[in-house]
Amino acid sequence: MNRRHALRHIALISGGLALIPSCDFSKDDILAAYKNLKVTASQKALLAAISDTIIPAGEIKGALDLEVPDFILVMVNDCFTKENQEKFTAGLTAFPDYVKESKGKKYNELSTKEKEQLILDAAKLEGDDSEEGKRKAAIVYFLNSTKRFTIQGYMASEYIQTEIIPYSLIPGEYNGAVLITDLQKPRING
Amino acid sequence: MANLNIRSKQERTYQAIVIGSGISGAWAAKEFCDLGVKTLMLERGRNVEHIKDYPTTNLLPYEFPHRNQIPQEIQEANPVISRCYAFREDAMHFFVKDTDHPYVQEKPFDWIRGYQVGGKSLLWARQVQRWSDFDFDGPARDGFAVDWPIRYKDIEKWYSHVEKFAGVSGFKDGIPHLPDGEFLPGYELNVVEKYFAEQLKKHYGNDRHMISARCAHIHGNAEYYAQQGRAMCQNRNLCQRGCPFGGYFSSNSSTIPWALKTGNLTLRPDAVVHSIIYDEEKGKATGVRIIDRLTKETEEFYADVIFVNAAALNTNAILLNSTSNRFPNGLGNDNGLLGKFVAFHNYRARVSGEYEGHSEFTTSGGRPTSGYFPRFRNVYKQETDFLRGYAAGFSASRGVGPDTSGIGMDLKNSLLNPDKYGPWRVGSHMMGETIPKETNFVALDPNQKDEWGMPQLRISVDYDDNDEKMVKDYIEQMTEMFTKAGFTNIQSADSKQAPGLDIHEMGGVRMGKDPKTSLLNANHQLHAVPNVYVTDGASMTSTSTQNPSLTYMAFAARAAHHAVAESKK
Ligand SMILES: Cc1cc2nc3c(=O)[nH]c(=O)nc-3n(C[C@H](O)[C@H](O)[C@H](O)COP(=O)(O)OP(=O)(O)OC[C@H]3O[C@@H](n4cnc5c(N)ncnc54)[C@H](O)[C@@H]3O)c2cc1C
Ligand code: SF4
Repeated sequence: MNRRHALRHIALISGGLALIPSCDFSKDDILAAYKNLKVTASQKALLAAISDTIIPAGEIKGALDLEVPDFILVMVNDCFTKENQEKFTAGLTAFPDYVKESKGKKYNELSTKEKEQLILDAAKLEGDDSEEGKRKAAIVYFLNSTKRFTIQGYMASEYIQTEIIPYSLIPGEYNGAVLITDLQKPRING
Repeated sequence: MANLNIRSKQERTYQAIVIGSGISGAWAAKEFCDLGVKTLMLERGRNVEHIKDYPTTNLLPYEFPHRNQIPQEIQEANPVISRCYAFREDAMHFFVKDTDHPYVQEKPFDWIRGYQVGGKSLLWARQVQRWSDFDFDGPARDGFAVDWPIRYKDIEKWYSHVEKFAGVSGFKDGIPHLPDGEFLPGYELNVVEKYFAEQLKKHYGNDRHMISARCAHIHGNAEYYAQQGRAMCQNRNLCQRGCPFGGYFSSNSSTIPWALKTGNLTLRPDAVVHSIIYDEEKGKATGVRIIDRLTKETEEFYADVIFVNAAALNTNAILLNSTSNRFPNGLGNDNGLLGKFVAFHNYRARVSGEYEGHSEFTTSGGRPTSGYFPRFRNVYKQETDFLRGYAAGFSASRGVGPDTSGIGMDLKNSLLNPDKYGPWRVGSHMMGETIPKETNFVALDPNQKDEWGMPQLRISVDYDDNDEKMVKDYIEQMTEMFTKAGFTNIQSADSKQAPGLDIHEMGGVRMGKDPKTSLLNANHQLHAVPNVYVTDGASMTSTSTQNPSLTYMAFAARAAHHAVAESKK
C-alpha cells in the first residue's frame, strides 16, 4: 500500500493528524506517526531488517519493498491493547541486547542464515516471572507479532493481491465438492 | 411570511406516515405506494442511496488500513457494538456507536442498531425462514404469553408476496414445521454438509434435518428483478458493505427505490420521531412530531394512518413517549403492558468439530448462505423439561493454508503456494426460542435524555431457567449428533453473551385477541387507537426459532393492505 495513502486513512479514522516520519535515520527521534508507541527511527530500521529476514526479496518483491514495517507499526499502534503495545515495545527494545549477548554482533552484521536461525531460536525462548524471564517473554511476543503482521501485511498488500495472486471480488459460483487433485496450479517462485 | 421554513399544514399532510425505513417500514411504504397512497417515510438517520452511498463496496483487502480490524480505541469506546461480528472496518459506518446513542442497561443488553435509511437491512445476514402453526400455536399450547390472534393461513399469501419480490433462494424441503415458499433455485450444500444430513436421516429417521438455509439472494433467475434494478448475486459475501448488484434484499436496493419510482413516496431522512400526536376530540392519532437530527428543530406531519416500524425497541420507545391526557402511560397503553413481555433469541451456544472423511474434496467459489437445522425439540408435543426448542446454523468448510513455521525464502515460497489442507471443520450455533415474560421489559428513563432531548431507553431483559436448560440440551444433542456422524475434536462453548447480540429482540407491543392482555389486534392495529399500526418485531407475541425479519415483512405488507381497505370503508 502507498504509505502516504495509508496514513491519510489512519488520520481520518483516528481523527488525528498523523505526521509522516522522515526517513533520516541519523537522528534517533521518536516517530510521531505512531502516537501510542515510543518507537525511534533506529528501532523502526531494526524492525525493517527483521521483516526483511522473515520475507526477503527475490524474484518477487519482499516485505521491505512493500513497506511492511510501516504496516506492522500501524497495527500495533492502532489495534493492540496498551498492555500488548508495552510488551511489543519492550521486546523490540530488548532485542538488540539479546542479539549482542547470543551472537556477539549487531543484527545487521549477521549473515542471512544466522539471522534466520536467530529469529527461529529466539521465538522459542521460554519466559517466566523473573526479570530475565519477562524480558524473554517480551522478545518472543515481539517476534511472533512481527512475524504474524509481516505475513499479513505482505500477503494482503496491493502488489501481491494484484500482480502475484490477484484477488477477486467475484469468486464465482460455489462448488461444494471439488477434487483437490483437480486444483493443480503453477508454482510461484519467490 | 415570517418564516419560510414553516410550511403550511396542508403541505405536511399525507395519507400515510411510516416511521422507520428499515426492513419492515420500507415494506409498508412500498405497499402503500403501489396502492396509490401518498406516503411519508420518516427516518432518524442520514440518507443512504443504493450504490452511491456504499463507500467500501469495491475496496480490496489492502485498501483497509487495518485489514478490516476495528482499531482498539474505537473498540474500547464502543464495547457493545464491538461485540457484533459484522462490526468491522468495512461496515462500521452503518452501525450505531455506543457513544452516539446511549441507553440504560438495567441488566446487560447488547443493543445493535443501524440508524440510516435502510436501517439494519443493509447489515443483516439475509436468512429467511417461514413460521408455521407449530410456532403460532406455541403460546396457547404451552401456556405462556397470550394466544396469537392469527395463524399461518392468515399470513401464508403474504409470505409468498414478499418472498417473490425480495428474491429468496431455497429448496422445497417438505418439512411441516418449516413451510416451503416461493423459491429461486437454492444454494447446494457441500459434500460434508450433505453427509451430515444423511447421517441425521440414518440415526434419527425423519425427525432431524439439515437443509440449505433459505436466504434473500437472487440466484439462478434474475430476469424478474431487473425491473427493480437488481441483478444476480455474485457470491461476494461482502453484503454488509452494501451490494452494487443488489444481489441481496435490502430496503435500499429494493423496496425504497421501487416506492420512490411510483411518485407516491416522500422520504424524509434526519427526522427523529419524538412522538405520535393523539387528538382526543377525534379519538385518533393525527400525526407525528419529529426533531430534526441536525437542526434540532421540531416539526409536525399529519396523516390518516400511522405505521410504527422503528425496529422493536425503538417502536416501544416512541409509543411510550407518546403521552396525552387520554394515554398518560404511552399511546394505546390502557393495560400497562406496553414495553413488557420483551423476548429475543438465545444464541449463546456453539458446537464445533473436525471431520477427517471426504479428505479428497474441498470447495471453490463462494455462496451467501450455509446449512440450517430446523427445530426438532417439542414440535409435536412437549417432550423435554424445558418449553419450546431451538434451530441451529450448520456449516462445513475446508481451508487451505501455507506452512508458516519457516522463515526466509522457505516461508515466502510456502506463502505463495499454499497447499496445506487441514481437516474439514464443522460448526453449529443455536437459535433458541425464549419465553416472553412481564419481567423482561423496556421503559423510558425518568432522568436521562439523549442529544435530542428524548428520554433514554432503559432495558431490563435477562435469560431464565428455561434458557439455561435449552443451552444444555443443545450442547448435549449437537455433540451427540456430531459424534454419531463421526466428527472428532468436538468442542462446545456457552458464550454467555448478553441478550440483544442475537439482534432478534421482539415484543413489548404484542398482538392478541383481548385488549386487556395485548396492545395490538389481529390486524396490527393498536386496540385503543386503530389508525396506528405496528408491524415490526415489537408486535411479536412469541419469538419462535426462525430468523424473524421475513415475518416482519409479511406483517407489514398485510397490514398496509388492511389499512387501505379500512380507509375505503
Ligand atoms: C449483523 C446482523 C445480522 C442479522 N441477520 C438476520 C438474518 O439473517 N435474518 C433475519 O431475519 N434478521 C437478521 N437480522 C435482524 C434484522 O436486521 C432485523 O430484524 C430487521 O432489520 C428489523 O427490521 P425493522 O424494520 O424492524 O428495523 P430496522 O431495519 O432496524 O429499521 C428501523 C429503522 O427505524 C429507524 N428509527 C428508529 N427510531 C426512530 C425514530 N425515533 N424516528 C425515526 N426513525 C427511527 C432506524 O434508524 C432504522 O432505520 C440481523 C441484524 C444484524 C445487524
Ligand atoms: S454475496 Fe451477493 S449479495 Fe452479497 S455482496 Fe455479494 S453479490 Fe452482493
